[in-house]
Amino acid sequence: MIIEENMSVQKKLEILSDAAKYDVACTSSGVDRKGTSGGLGNTVAAGICHTFSADGRCISLLKILFTNECIFDCKYCLNRSSNDVVRASFTPEEVCVLTMEFYRRNYIEGLFLSSGVIKNPNFTMELLCETLRMLREVHHFNGYIHCKAVPGASSDIIEMTGWYADRMSVNLELPTAEGLKTLAPHKTRKNILKPMKQIQIGRNELIKPSTFIETNRMSGYAQSISVFDMNSIESEQDQPQILREEANFSLSKSKSELSIRDKILDTNMTGYDSEYSLGKVRRPSINRGFVPAGQSTQMIIGATPENDYQILSVTEALYQKFDLKRVFFSAFIRVNEDTSLPVLPGGPPLLREHRLYQADWLLRFYGFQAAELLSEERPNFNVLLDPKCNWALGHLENFPIEVNKADYYALLRVPGIGVRSAERIVKARRTAKLRFEDLKKMGVVLKRAIYFITCSGQMMHPVKLEENYLTNQLVGMKERLPFGLSGDISYQQLSLFDDLKFMNQNININ
Amino acid sequence: MLTKRIYVCENSIECIFTGIYDAWASNYGHDNNRIQVEESNNEPETMELFSEYIHVKTDNEKAIKVANSIRTKISEEAFQMVCSAAWSCSSKKGDIIYRFLILGFSMGSKVVNHMGDQNVMMIFELQRNVTYEVHHFLGFLRFIESDSNILLAKIKPQNDVLRLIAPHFSDRLSNENFIIYDEKRKSAIVHRSGYSWIYTLADHLDINKFEEYSEKEQEFTSLWQTFFDTIAIEERRNYKLQRNNAPLRFRNNMTEFKN
Repeated sequence: MIIEENMSVQKKLEILSDAAKYDVACTSSGVDRKGTSGGLGNTVAAGICHTFSADGRCISLLKILFTNECIFDCKYCLNRSSNDVVRASFTPEEVCVLTMEFYRRNYIEGLFLSSGVIKNPNFTMELLCETLRMLREVHHFNGYIHCKAVPGASSDIIEMTGWYADRMSVNLELPTAEGLKTLAPHKTRKNILKPMKQIQIGRNELIKPSTFIETNRMSGYAQSISVFDMNSIESEQDQPQILREEANFSLSKSKSELSIRDKILDTNMTGYDSEYSLGKVRRPSINRGFVPAGQSTQMIIGATPENDYQILSVTEALYQKFDLKRVFFSAFIRVNEDTSLPVLPGGPPLLREHRLYQADWLLRFYGFQAAELLSEERPNFNVLLDPKCNWALGHLENFPIEVNKADYYALLRVPGIGVRSAERIVKARRTAKLRFEDLKKMGVVLKRAIYFITCSGQMMHPVKLEENYLTNQLVGMKERLPFGLSGDISYQQLSLFDDLKFMNQNININ
Repeated sequence: MLTKRIYVCENSIECIFTGIYDAWASNYGHDNNRIQVEESNNEPETMELFSEYIHVKTDNEKAIKVANSIRTKISEEAFQMVCSAAWSCSSKKGDIIYRFLILGFSMGSKVVNHMGDQNVMMIFELQRNVTYEVHHFLGFLRFIESDSNILLAKIKPQNDVLRLIAPHFSDRLSNENFIIYDEKRKSAIVHRSGYSWIYTLADHLDINKFEEYSEKEQEFTSLWQTFFDTIAIEERRNYKLQRNNAPLRFRNNMTEFKN
């Protein structure tokens, strides 16, 4: 391990932001908090992007590792202990000064603090917690803080950190436990899920102390954090009406899916355990709530041979059983030479990542379920179509739907109609019957939608609802992909990854 | 056919409201009136034939009457929409607001949902355009700290967003002294620690102050530059996406894009 003495802050920042750049979640969303008279900062629930780096990703938070001196040897990670890279560590004071001064100049929305595991998980978590404490109590920083929970750290330090942070996240790292075993030998699924569970339970205790504990005592949360309860708790707290209805909507069918998910997430933590409950530490004097912006996680896509269906099912389970706010996907980038890592000839699987994010939105805002979008027989997305088009083509019996009558959720399922358009339609049809030209004026994009909707019983053009014909029409359309993903080149790249046979031949795990 | 009457207003919300008040009070028929906002650049307007041009002189009393009527007879939401529209850079905003209000005073609060109507839709568009720009500046605005510990920011917005971004920064930086200067309109928000913000014309502001970097300031500028450069992932480099998300017009005043 190379450790340089007396390194400048500039140099440390360079090393430790470079080491943190693969972390995905740079969002500052989820909590509205007014400024305080003695402090610096506030937070905005919608989140604010402060700039965009050369890869086009948003920079919202000062995203750094506290240290890259790591005792773990995860194969995909630049900072694995067996790598010969320059190591550096901040002091809590240095992190505080950087955060405060960057924040004053409006460079950032707050701090995203992650870390390699130095000495042991507890020691690392204590350092992170102390940094947050100083920021909040010494520097009176009132802006956004996202902090990683280090798997394996004791629950009291996790709780203390949760009182200072707005959002916490534990990295799932890889979609399945098997993947974790091969590529991150020092991490276990159980250690990762434990702090996640603790944060979830802590947050819920604050929201609805009595009912929550009762439901859990009765049945043990493994079965019962009955997806239903969890969702209604969350939705009552901070989701708008529309989402609340949607939560109930999406749940009606979901119970049958639970068994698959249990298997996937392997949550055999049964019974209510006081270890997960709040109250192990004294709360700070200024109460900003316990992880008020909720928790998120991320996993690497394409390093291990899981299919899209597995990934999406895990994602769904994380939302429903762990109450996560976001699940992030990170296209695998080969930073280390290691025989257990796949060589992806087209570079990181960015289009696959994009399709998974699209599907993730369908789960969170459109009332879809993983099992509707994919299945054991058809476990991967068709890269040529977005997941919603793909679904609609398989369910033509639901279409066309009448714009002036269909309910909000039916509208949301129309290809080309998003949350904003659906809301506008529902609003506008109260005052007048809508025609196709009205939809256009309102900014509803009709390119895809015209095949699936009627206005006052009429389709825009006479169209036969037939799968092959529509598939050709939709695939032929130029989809607006994020810049850099469009064009034939990326389709080619993608077809390589998404072909499971190809992957199996080339990924040589063990 | 009656001669068209065109009410020419200065580019301010007060003057637009005054013009609307005068046009309404004239009883000349809405179809024969038009509200036109003077362009701030000195190019001569293309005049129309068979039209009478009336130059509106701002009258705060009339403006307040219009504002109060919108709030009470239509709704607070409609008032917000109209304000945003009035601060937008559209040259047609005067007449759009006028037409929106004609409909609004007959329909009441329902008007904001009446998207089928062209003027309602246009007000909505103007507001959306302004809101997006406001949101952009909440993130893209950059302060530099002067030797006297005052934070200075310079922006060049398309719309007149100063008064819409001021509440955010005053809340966030309540203990700081800061100035946000609109280069285009030569106006500014001034905030003194512990006080509420004020909006002022700033013809006399010494903007050269913005270029004087203290040593401490240079240090943080360079730290930020370092962070900005290293945080990008080489394998995912995508300048098009970057430019789409952070358009060039904002970059002149953004620390990390200088040099």
